[in-house]
Amino acid sequence: MDVSLRYKILFSIIFASVGFMIAIQFQSTQNSEQRDTRDLWEVRKELQNQQKVQQQLYNKIAELDEMIAQYEGQTQAAKVETLKESIQVLKREAGLTEVSGEGIVIKVTPIFQNIDSEQTYPSVSPGLLHRLVNELNTYGASDIAISSERITNVSPIRDVNGHTYVNNHPIPPLPITIKVLSENASRLLDYMQVSQSKDDFAIENLELEMSKREELTLPAYEQIPKLKYLEVENRETGES
Amino acid sequence: MWLPILFLLIGLTLGLLTDFQVPEEYADYLSIAVLAAFDTLLGGIRAHLEGKFDQRVFVSGFFFNVSLAALLAFLGVQLGIDLYLAAVFAFGVRLFQNIALIRRYMIERSRKKKEDEKNRRK
Repeated sequence: MDVSLRYKILFSIIFASVGFMIAIQFQSTQNSEQRDTRDLWEVRKELQNQQKVQQQLYNKIAELDEMIAQYEGQTQAAKVETLKESIQVLKREAGLTEVSGEGIVIKVTPIFQNIDSEQTYPSVSPGLLHRLVNELNTYGASDIAISSERITNVSPIRDVNGHTYVNNHPIPPLPITIKVLSENASRLLDYMQVSQSKDDFAIENLELEMSKREELTLPAYEQIPKLKYLEVENRETGES
Repeated sequence: MWLPILFLLIGLTLGLLTDFQVPEEYADYLSIAVLAAFDTLLGGIRAHLEGKFDQRVFVSGFFFNVSLAALLAFLGVQLGIDLYLAAVFAFGVRLFQNIALIRRYMIERSRKKKEDEKNRRK
């Protein structure tokens, strides 16, 4: 083969590879944004979720509109009455009042096994309580009280020096009772009978006994709720 | 002369048409290889203008530079040093030097041409 022709071919290959590299580098830097890889069902689910959120927001707006109408169309005394009512509603929602209704009672008792080795008296760890509370909320619990401590949105459940504290108070030794209110107590009971929590508690030698009650009263949250990260918004009035 | 440019275009279109993307971990390697390739091409053009172009030097320089740059980047990753910056620096400096020399030769050449034309008219 002619030497110059061979070099020409080699040259051409080099140039082609340079072009190829440049093109790929260009493409890699240009199209590196995240692609939407969700399939149809995921998109549908997301849409459904967002629609649900939208519906909830609409409901809230409607409620608040109603409240505004009440405020506007009333005398001074009635206004105060409405204000007190809404304070009461908010207090109930925040868990600052006693509530009663249909619900279930969960009794946590230790399991003692017939084994020769020594067994320590079991206690409930914060992690287990977290799971239980999460599961109860998932299955439609409206209000929860662990022994005599009402669980609110800001209730801490944590380990303090080896003891489990709820609302900054230590929970009493076993057995303890957990009271749960729900709009559909029998359904909640059914769910909890086969829940994962039962197995989780059993691993720690704890048993959950559940029963339904027609009338159940939960204590109020007794401390002043700490609203560290909340601020009063005064956009309407312009005051600060 | 036209064959390499044609192949450059072929390479470019091939690269754009394949819709192939380099994973982010290897982006450094490719960018430095591209830089090395640019450096070699410009060096070749400069040598050609200087009249001391050697095909063997050019071809071997291309492959050697590209692989050395990639090796340096790889070594940097293994050692936890951004060693590829050294390659970027070296190639960057050489790129500028080559471009400056090419520009000078171009200017001189055009000047010479004009003078030749003047002489011819006389």
